Amino acid sequence: MQQADARLSTVLEEARSKSKKKKWRNALTILLFVSPALIVYAMYVIYPILATLNYSFYDWNGSSVGTYIGLQNYVQLFSDSIFWTALRNNTWITLTSVFVQIPLGLIMALMLFAPIKGIRLMSSVYFFPFLMSTVAIGLLWIYMFDPINGSINQLINLLGFENVAWLSGENTAIIAVLFVIVWQFAPFYMILFRAAIVGIPEELYEAADIDGANPWHKFSRITLPLLMPTIVSSSILAIVGSLKAFDIFYVMTGGGPNHATELMGTYMFKQAFVNFNMGYASAIAFVMFFIALIVTILIQALDFYRQKKGVFSE
Amino acid sequence: MKRKFLLLTTFCMMVLAACAPGGGSDSEESNAVSGDGGSGKQVLDFWYIDPGEKEKVYQEAVERFEEKHPDVEVKMLRVANDAYKQKLAVSMSGGNAPDIFNSWGGGWLKQFVDQGQVLDVTESIEKERFNELALDNTTFHDKIYGLPLGLSLDLVFYNKEIFEEYGLTPPETYTEWVEIIETLKENNIIPIALANQTKWPGAYYLMNFAARIGGPDLFNEAFLREGRGFDDPAYVEAGEYIQEMVEMDAFNPGFNGVPYDEGQGRQLLYSGQAAMMDITMSLVNNVRTEAPEFEEKMDFFVFPTVEGGQGSNKAVGASTGPVWSVAADTENPDLATELIQELTSQETAEAYTNRTGSLTAVSGVEPEDEFVNRMYQVAEEATHLQMPYDQTLPPELAELHKDTTQALFGLSITPEEAAEQMEAKAKEVLE
Repeated sequence: MQQADARLSTVLEEARSKSKKKKWRNALTILLFVSPALIVYAMYVIYPILATLNYSFYDWNGSSVGTYIGLQNYVQLFSDSIFWTALRNNTWITLTSVFVQIPLGLIMALMLFAPIKGIRLMSSVYFFPFLMSTVAIGLLWIYMFDPINGSINQLINLLGFENVAWLSGENTAIIAVLFVIVWQFAPFYMILFRAAIVGIPEELYEAADIDGANPWHKFSRITLPLLMPTIVSSSILAIVGSLKAFDIFYVMTGGGPNHATELMGTYMFKQAFVNFNMGYASAIAFVMFFIALIVTILIQALDFYRQKKGVFSE
Repeated sequence: MKRKFLLLTTFCMMVLAACAPGGGSDSEESNAVSGDGGSGKQVLDFWYIDPGEKEKVYQEAVERFEEKHPDVEVKMLRVANDAYKQKLAVSMSGGNAPDIFNSWGGGWLKQFVDQGQVLDVTESIEKERFNELALDNTTFHDKIYGLPLGLSLDLVFYNKEIFEEYGLTPPETYTEWVEIIETLKENNIIPIALANQTKWPGAYYLMNFAARIGGPDLFNEAFLREGRGFDDPAYVEAGEYIQEMVEMDAFNPGFNGVPYDEGQGRQLLYSGQAAMMDITMSLVNNVRTEAPEFEEKMDFFVFPTVEGGQGSNKAVGASTGPVWSVAADTENPDLATELIQELTSQETAEAYTNRTGSLTAVSGVEPEDEFVNRMYQVAEEATHLQMPYDQTLPPELAELHKDTTQALFGLSITPEEAAEQMEAKAKEVLE
């Protein structure tokens, strides 16, 4: 008996260790499969972030050996009025994207479902701006905004107003570029919303009809709540995109005049590749990264809270 | 088991550690391989910025070079002027510099020289073949880092037809210039076209006024930190002149938002909407490709003098460019050096000056064209050639100079503030 007991216990132990072994083998297998992606991720994402942080502590021109200056770059950055202008401009883009672009995209999407003749054609017309390359759009609008011969000013003239030198004024330049950004990206959100609206079951509207709901009720009680997840993900895309904005500003104004349309991105680029202050540019880059990180965490947290509480969700 | 996991973790970390810093050298190696791989031909990358007839002149020089070296392929890439500086800087710091590249000499080239990115070609060239002043602009620590092909002057171009119509003659002094501006305004013609989004066209006004007021040595004193500085009253006064011109509406509205390369500024001149434009001689090349019919209407004068100023109109704004340099990390330094010599040969220089309406920094090449020859005479008679600040100063100070000048034009800072900012940055950057 005792022998049998002992044998049983060894068998059990073996089995247990086997299952442990199996678990480890599983972990190893998973790790092996993940490792190519992990290595690439570490090389191209984590390492550059850490390297940027490291460079930001140096006074460095990009090729020779830099001198360690501690937090000096950051001290300088926070007293740099151009950087604050840039931060303010990035905030403007973020606000415009979330509160103008997304609602506009939603309205455009809703219009596509309205019983208007020829609206099918509009869906492709609406989408055109998003298909063009940003540089082409930038050049196109530079000509449109031309202070003398531009078509916008010709139109303003027809309406009996004075010409406005859109891209030349320190206050008007940012408005002009923001307008172009809305024009370019609203169609993108339109497509997202259109897809989401198609996904809303028709029965809900039929039931609402039976209950005697008017169109506004149908929109506010059915369409909007069911679009909420799309609105949240659109907002994330819009905010992150706004923080990284660079190209259209670089093409249309180059951050000018007198840094009035400078963004964190364009300012970082100028410091790095025009003024050769790599260390300082790294500090800007790291602050950009930090802001984006905080914002992303905040949005994720809010979304988590929203889903948990079930606000606006079915 | 735990030990295994630990081992695995350490292994992974080692792999990561080995990979991460190796990333850079990996890519460099692969570039080196692709450089002479492929067809088996030696490849030279050559970047330049000039379009039109100048581009053809370079292409012909490259063809002559390739005939001599059938086993070499020259890959030519034209980069737009406004984007060029950044593009080259990015590729330099990424270790992917082209073998032969365009520059303007001066502080911008020196930046790369100081980083050890430019090949010293002193040994392989004959100094006498080049204009001394122009070659000085590519010489640092007594070594030559580039060969200048072009020499450009900064002149005020004007539309002869408009001047004749209103009985105007080219001004000698600022007061005369202001009278012309007033007359043109009364007749609803934009006096001066300015495309200042790119900032350098406006910077010429500051440089010219400063040289007219403070004399031709002012800039060198400030740059070399000997004597007067960037906060000298002459600079403040130059800023005041600029703002006075802006306030009298001498320029097209919205000039600070009009980019130069896209051509809206030149369009004003071609179409007769504007009468004058202070710009480099490269305009002649632009006219020949963009609006050939305008060339016969076009004439020029040297930037006018100001009352009580120390400078005469024999001091002319000038620049060298293109200047051809060889990257230090080229695999074929000899071939590349030979190519830049072909790009500045007598034959190239003659074609360059006669076909593109430009002057050349290669000595003894006199333009056949009468119009260009008059510019040649201006250069010959000049007592001083002022190289543009933004190509002489270190980049950071150069950018500030252009930024503050643009802000002066935009009336958003006072001349005193601009001068103070320049001097403060100069103290920081120029030792």
